[in-house]
Amino acid sequence: MDIDLSVTSVRDANAALRALPAGASARLASPAGRHNLAVGLTEAITVEIDGTAGYYAGGLGRDATVLVRGTAGWGAGENLMSGLVRVDGDASQSLGSCAHGGTVVVHGSASLRAGISLKGGTVLVAGDVGDHCGFMAQAGTILIGGDAGRGLGDSLYEAVIYVAGKIRDLGADARIEELAEADVELVARLAKQHGFDHIDPENVTRVASARQLYHWGTP
Amino acid sequence: MCGITALQLRDADLRPRLGELMAAMMAQVAERGPDSAGITIYPDVRVLKGVGHPAALAAEWRLREMAGTQAVAHTRMATESAITAAHCHPFVVGDGLSLVHNGSFANHATIRRELLARGVPFDSDNDSEVAARFLAYRMAEGDGLEKALRLLCERFDGFYTLAVQTPDAFAVVRDVIACKPAIIAETAGWVAMASEYRALAVLPGIAAARVYEPEPEEVYLWTST
Amino acid sequence: MSSDSSFDGIRERARLGRYPIRGGGARRAVPAFDDLTFLTASASRYPLEGYREACATRTVLGAANARDPVVLEIPITIAGMSFGALSAPAKEALGRAASEVGTATTTGDGGMTPEERMSSKTLVYQCLPSRYGFNPDDLRAADAIEVVLGQGAKPGGGGMLMGQKLGPRVAAMRTLPEGIDQRSACRHPDWTGPDDLRIKIEELREATDWRVPVFVKIGATRVYHDVRLAATAGADVVVVDGMQGGTGATQDVFIEHTGIPTLAAVRLAADALADFPDVKLIVSGGVRSGADVAKALALGADAVSVGMAALVALGCNDTVHDFGPASYAELGTTAGGCTACHTGGCPVGIATQSPALQARLDPVRGAERVANYLRAITMETTMLARACGKADVHHLEPEDLVALTVEAAAMARVPLAGTEWIPGR
Ligand SMILES: Cc1cc2nc3c(=O)[nH]c(=O)nc-3n(C[C@H](O)[C@H](O)[C@H](O)COP(=O)(O)O)c2cc1C
Ligand code: SF4
Repeated sequence: MDIDLSVTSVRDANAALRALPAGASARLASPAGRHNLAVGLTEAITVEIDGTAGYYAGGLGRDATVLVRGTAGWGAGENLMSGLVRVDGDASQSLGSCAHGGTVVVHGSASLRAGISLKGGTVLVAGDVGDHCGFMAQAGTILIGGDAGRGLGDSLYEAVIYVAGKIRDLGADARIEELAEADVELVARLAKQHGFDHIDPENVTRVASARQLYHWGTP
Repeated sequence: MCGITALQLRDADLRPRLGELMAAMMAQVAERGPDSAGITIYPDVRVLKGVGHPAALAAEWRLREMAGTQAVAHTRMATESAITAAHCHPFVVGDGLSLVHNGSFANHATIRRELLARGVPFDSDNDSEVAARFLAYRMAEGDGLEKALRLLCERFDGFYTLAVQTPDAFAVVRDVIACKPAIIAETAGWVAMASEYRALAVLPGIAAARVYEPEPEEVYLWTST
Repeated sequence: MSSDSSFDGIRERARLGRYPIRGGGARRAVPAFDDLTFLTASASRYPLEGYREACATRTVLGAANARDPVVLEIPITIAGMSFGALSAPAKEALGRAASEVGTATTTGDGGMTPEERMSSKTLVYQCLPSRYGFNPDDLRAADAIEVVLGQGAKPGGGGMLMGQKLGPRVAAMRTLPEGIDQRSACRHPDWTGPDDLRIKIEELREATDWRVPVFVKIGATRVYHDVRLAATAGADVVVVDGMQGGTGATQDVFIEHTGIPTLAAVRLAADALADFPDVKLIVSGGVRSGADVAKALALGADAVSVGMAALVALGCNDTVHDFGPASYAELGTTAGGCTACHTGGCPVGIATQSPALQARLDPVRGAERVANYLRAITMETTMLARACGKADVHHLEPEDLVALTVEAAAMARVPLAGTEWIPGR
């Protein structure tokens, strides 16, 4: 199915996508940065967004595959439950925010707060990420192929961040931990799966919670 | 709260189309600021402001017919001050400095008092005007635009994405937390900044542009040619 | 000097090295609905018969945008209180009670439990900054969505849940390690400000096929501006929670020192919605009685929400059911003096995650008490409305009220009783 967003409203386009059965695929032409494309999908369909998406592309999705051919705005793949959201270009802020599951992959770079409040999903960025990546991330994995900005992993819970490049600085309660064999295997698998050939799995930095903010001794 | 659009044309052939391009950009961020809108067009520092839907205002101003070198515009969703033309951005002060703001300052009342004590006049009770007056004040004291913007980052608390133009320059800066959106695109023919990519998508040659987000508390500055 | 009670706070902080945390609402006395009284009918106006002449209470929310608006039989809903702060039986009891009287109840931080979904005919699903337990499946199972910007007890602050209450089920729902002290974010992770909220609301509508209404809840501070912005951003309903509003656990400094009283907030919120006739107003924070409900409606609310009142009806601080004073004593507290919500040591099984303690609460019997309470205060509301000559509780207006104190007159903008004086007017 082909939907031209220059003549079809986002509301009608999303309704058409939600009516598709598992296994179907659709292409959204002329996205021109429109918001809320392919959100709330529930079936294992494939949606190709042929250009740049606005906010929340593929957000709140289950099982679907959403491919953004250009760049993506805020919160791409936000609150994803399962499935895949892939961005060929760069992604804006709050990439994969709160994702419970599934994979959010960016082949360019991502700006601030990538993987904020992550709840179990996997967020992969081939390039660099901006400040506060992984802020309060609870569970899941973040892999950064390039450099990380300020405050990496601030107030992390149990999510783990791997950085292949440099880290500008760590946020509160984040610490660098020794790389175990399981880490190397995980990074190698993810890098291979998503074509992040530039990452050397033995040479990434593991960042996790220092767990100093877990208890205040209350009441 | 609002939508920002700004454009500086490097390619002289595009200059007759400045108004047309700005009108198209503003239409894309109209939902971010449906109450009112305003624009400054250079080199004449022509300021147009009004209450109403940005698209209706652009038509009323015959914006599409206007030529120029650069422009900065704003569509406004009023936060704490009234919806009147006087409260519309851009705030144009000093030697043709125009400022638009998306966000909300947290200590502007104190800075306003400090500036008033130094004899700086104000036209409105808008928080964004304080930022414009602060920059003009610093520049009157001899600072360049870049330095004035860095001082603004030091002095102002709160959330902001700012676009500023003067007759010789165009600058963008955002606060350290950078919670309000901003996106920049550059080609050989122009440099543009907007709250959302949608607004940049209307520009000629966008597919080949370098598109990036400004880093927090970093001043981006382009001089006019 | 050592007997000065303000010194107790100093000693507590000196001992703890951090801020005190507690449940409940503001303890200080602030101007409230109690400071107003109705000018009921007499010779100039005619009353309606209390038991024979109808007085409508039905309230419809979100009819402009949603295919399935929320229809309430009474203008009183149960506020969002998290599963985590409250036990599962408490959530279930609140749902049963709300369903029985034809009103809505609300989830809270930490997501939706199957018990409360099944027991609630109309369930409002909160979307909070933490997004704990927030997912598209429960979103689509909800009858309305409430985007929470803040709470009256802590406008500008995030939620918290002490480790004692982060039991296995709560921790799993929130994807947090068991037993840690949970702190939630104060800003949403993927938008800030009304211009971006507008896009978020659209996303939630898209994900629910534009079926259900979207509420936006704010803590009462700059009420006029915030309510107007929430409406501009696309809310169907704005929920304004005043400074007296209860909480499961919050820093004491927030509870006592932030926000404005509910009484002042109602008028400001109603003013802000003057240009948005389709947007409805729910007010909460300190609503206890039918008189409070009637006064809130008169000042411009379409409905009210109750938090702590519903818990008290459920048995908080009471010695009902099978337990007496000893049940309190063994937990180091007393019936009537308990404020232990944040510790999880709730003697009546409401604010706890301990299996043994929560077994003390029978959701069916608890629901009966809450339903009774809601029915009773609805009767009181209609009683006052009828006495003012109104055939619909929503026909109450500010002109039906006068104030007993100058402060209340100024905040509610009604005349001081016996005068025509509204301070500031
Ligand atoms: C135990 C408890 C837990 C609460 N949890 C939440 C919550 O999760 N989300 C929320 O928006 N408000 C929460 N609140 C605030 C209520 O929704 C409501 O605003 C407040 O209780 C109203 O004031 P009242 O208790 O005086 O009726 C909670 C309140 C209590 C007492
Ligand atoms: S009885 Fe339970 S609900 Fe009531 S104050 Fe004590 S702990 Fe809280």
